Amino acid sequence: MNPTIRLVNRNLTISLNPGFLVWQVIFPIVYIFVAGFAYTALIDSVQFGEMSLDYPAFIASGMIGFNIMNSTLVSGIIIWNDRKHGMFEQILVGPFKRSHYILSNVYTIAIVGLISAALITAIGFPLFFKSVQFNLLTIPFLVFASIVGSILFGSIASIISTRLRSSEGFNVMINTVFLFFAFVSTAFYPAQGAPEPLATGFYLNPLTYLVDIIRAGIFGTFNEFVMLEMAVLVSVATILFVVAIKLLTKLDL
Amino acid sequence: MSVTTRSLFKSYGDLVAVNGIDLDIKPGKVFGFLGPNGAGKSTTIKMLTTLIPPTSGTIEILGVNAIKNPLEVRKKIGVVLQQPSYEPNLSVEKSLEKYGMMWDVDKKTRKQRTEELIDVFDLREIRKKKNEDLSIGQRRRVQVAREFMHEMELLFLDEPTVGLDPGARRNLLNYLKNKAKAGLTIFYTTHVLTEAEYLCDEIAVINKGKILAVDTPDQLKSTFGQEKTIKIHLLDRNDKLAQLLSGIFGCTLDFNTGTDIIIQSSKAEIVLSHVLSILIENNIAVEDLSAMPTTLEEIFLKMVRDTNESNN
Repeated sequence: MNPTIRLVNRNLTISLNPGFLVWQVIFPIVYIFVAGFAYTALIDSVQFGEMSLDYPAFIASGMIGFNIMNSTLVSGIIIWNDRKHGMFEQILVGPFKRSHYILSNVYTIAIVGLISAALITAIGFPLFFKSVQFNLLTIPFLVFASIVGSILFGSIASIISTRLRSSEGFNVMINTVFLFFAFVSTAFYPAQGAPEPLATGFYLNPLTYLVDIIRAGIFGTFNEFVMLEMAVLVSVATILFVVAIKLLTKLDL
Repeated sequence: MSVTTRSLFKSYGDLVAVNGIDLDIKPGKVFGFLGPNGAGKSTTIKMLTTLIPPTSGTIEILGVNAIKNPLEVRKKIGVVLQQPSYEPNLSVEKSLEKYGMMWDVDKKTRKQRTEELIDVFDLREIRKKKNEDLSIGQRRRVQVAREFMHEMELLFLDEPTVGLDPGARRNLLNYLKNKAKAGLTIFYTTHVLTEAEYLCDEIAVINKGKILAVDTPDQLKSTFGQEKTIKIHLLDRNDKLAQLLSGIFGCTLDFNTGTDIIIQSSKAEIVLSHVLSILIENNIAVEDLSAMPTTLEEIFLKMVRDTNESNN
């Protein structure tokens, strides 16, 4: 078996533990079904492009992006865990190159991101099926968003993993990043109508671009702005990926 | 040769960690690598296992140039590093099984070896326990056991017995002896000199990045430990004895508490006969008397002390 695939197998075994899976399923379900329906008392509908979506459909589609971010941040910490528990060095004295290790983490993050997106799409489907505009681009858009989003957020987690050693520092950093990305985005609410500085802040956050692309795929609202968002997302993901790889390559032993 | 190095040198800025080491390790032998903390042992192991490149010098492992073809070397060796390494949320048996998978060992062999190693390393009772719930010693046992999941020609062990209880320690040493008999070359570092004496065919002593001596344990003792130690424990303190013994040439005397006397000499047999004569002639009652050869530990300490003094 190829060395990278063997490491992916190992990464998935240590990542996909019952706690992680429960977190990946229960947390979004609560958001979609509890927050989604509870907020309908306050939010009747949300304007998305030319469409008017009910709030559960809006939040369910946003949760796909949210879950990609959440799961890849978690799986991105494999590197930090490996460093903390001595497995990074142990793997590098085994039959692997550093590039095998880096690639295996990229693949693991992408797989976890895709599974996560598929899971939430399946869970949320009953809520947004009325508004779904299936077309040739729906699946490619979802796959594109899952892969690019996974690489982007996985790279962020990897960069943090390479820079921080202490548990406290790492947890503070991951939680801060998580809070900013999760709540200063259009995952839970639309940018239209938010105070100007906050609405601008939404578009400094890659999760906003990610959920916009996912929604465009699901609800068939492709336009030039979505294309621009795709270009921005790919560019940011590429930059962060290159930085993460450089840091991983130079990581001291 | 399993390991050959020439003029191996590693520095970090101004700090020289390893200073021109030459090693020749024969196949199927257990090679002990001894040195105090910060002597350069772990840096040497990291270079030999291709984890870090040397600043200069050459390394050949199992006939392969380790600097040019590190992956080829890593495929042939096993390494138990000094620091713990484990996957916290995996059980003991899952850790072994997954480690075998990482080394591309087929499923049937993995299953068979997992069972064997669980028995050999006494892991049956903890096989279902997660690594994060193990004690330091148990975790170390799993770490060492795990390395035998795959085939190898050369095994590097960096202080593998740290945290092990005496039973587990002896068990591991015997297992390693058998593996060496079966042809495995072992590079072994430890602070426990009795372990090195028990296990190693050849020992190198390193201090301040330089090799001080390389030889068999017996040869090291005969070269550097010609002195023997005579210990006398008197029933009662005898102030006259110091004066009587001071007439014996070729030895050093330490009267310690007055009832315990330690005499060191390279001509211990002659000195001992003089001491006995004096004790008998003066009717001095002795509770205990022993003459012991210098231990490897004493030689090691002396070598390290001498180099530290000469450097200072």
